[in-house]
Amino acid sequence: MTRWIVPLLVFLATAAGAWHATLAAATFGLMEGAVRRLSLRAGLNTMSYGQLATPANQPIVRPSPDLAYSSCPFDLSAGPLLIQYVPVAGRYSSLSVFNARTDVVFVRNDEQAGGKPVRIAIAREGQKVPAGVETVRVGYDRGIALVRLLLADPAEIAQFDAIRRQSNCATIRG
Amino acid sequence: MKRWHHYAFAVVAGLAAGAGGAWAVIHKGLNDGRLSNGPWSTALNYGTKDTDSLTRASVALRAILALPSTETVYWNAAADSDGIPLDGSCTYAMTGKPLDARWWSVTYYDKRGYLVANAANIWSFSGISVTPAEKDGWRVTIGPDKVDGHWLPSAKGQPFELTLRMYNPGAGFRASPKDAILPVLKKERCA
Repeated sequence: MTRWIVPLLVFLATAAGAWHATLAAATFGLMEGAVRRLSLRAGLNTMSYGQLATPANQPIVRPSPDLAYSSCPFDLSAGPLLIQYVPVAGRYSSLSVFNARTDVVFVRNDEQAGGKPVRIAIAREGQKVPAGVETVRVGYDRGIALVRLLLADPAEIAQFDAIRRQSNCATIRG
Repeated sequence: MKRWHHYAFAVVAGLAAGAGGAWAVIHKGLNDGRLSNGPWSTALNYGTKDTDSLTRASVALRAILALPSTETVYWNAAADSDGIPLDGSCTYAMTGKPLDARWWSVTYYDKRGYLVANAANIWSFSGISVTPAEKDGWRVTIGPDKVDGHWLPSAKGQPFELTLRMYNPGAGFRASPKDAILPVLKKERCA
């Protein structure tokens, strides 16, 4: 009987390690897949202005068909990222930033922003950002910044196209 | 059996049990949240660094890019108010009152979390559609056949899930989400 105790402990320790490793691999892998799918639109470190989600347009699982999503998949290996988010007056909208582990490292909605544009920098520790810019330090290079805009009617997406395109993102060079 | 065989078996079995178990639980769905209210369930730690690794992986698979509950609460229902799995061949009455949030909606998804094609191009019902005359109560029919009034089309022969989004939930709701009055889902008939 005692000769099985140590192998049993090895089994339990290995199972626990495999459990946690699988959960972590799934999380990071699924997020990396989302970064790559969204970067097919306009590349990394560039904001793209998606059409409303329909059964034929679902780059991300469980999309809301009532929200216009603008997305900026990013990679900080070439430098920090500057994001500008411009709210639409009288409409729910928000900017959220997700790191490679899917954690939200920043979120601000139109009311919190007072209806005014928001400029933030996303940077790794040690990366230089312009003075005076609100900065969010993150622990991973890759992630996604997402602007959500609520539409009362699908036809409004054309009406708000110009103001949606005022939200953008770009790598901060040297 | 030699002694090293015991250890080799323990390692292989441990890897299989741990990885297989995790993969199976991730794919089980979002209905194992820590907070339930009628047919709806959620966890209030989506998208935060405090999220446990299982919830984080499940959300990554089923609802990636979900916001934290301070911004949005996502309730999911895979069964009606009697606990019976939602069936696209059946017709349901979803009834409720305006919810304590700046904006809310209920969206129809397949079991994997994707929108389902229908001829009416209707995939959600939101608080914007509630008229002043319905401030004391609204009804949406969820079913495969068009009806008068609010209608959310279903796909015959396919199970489905509903996601209730509450954007900027009110202080009253946040004080006690499990006691909030959420929509009721009653099955009326099946095709």
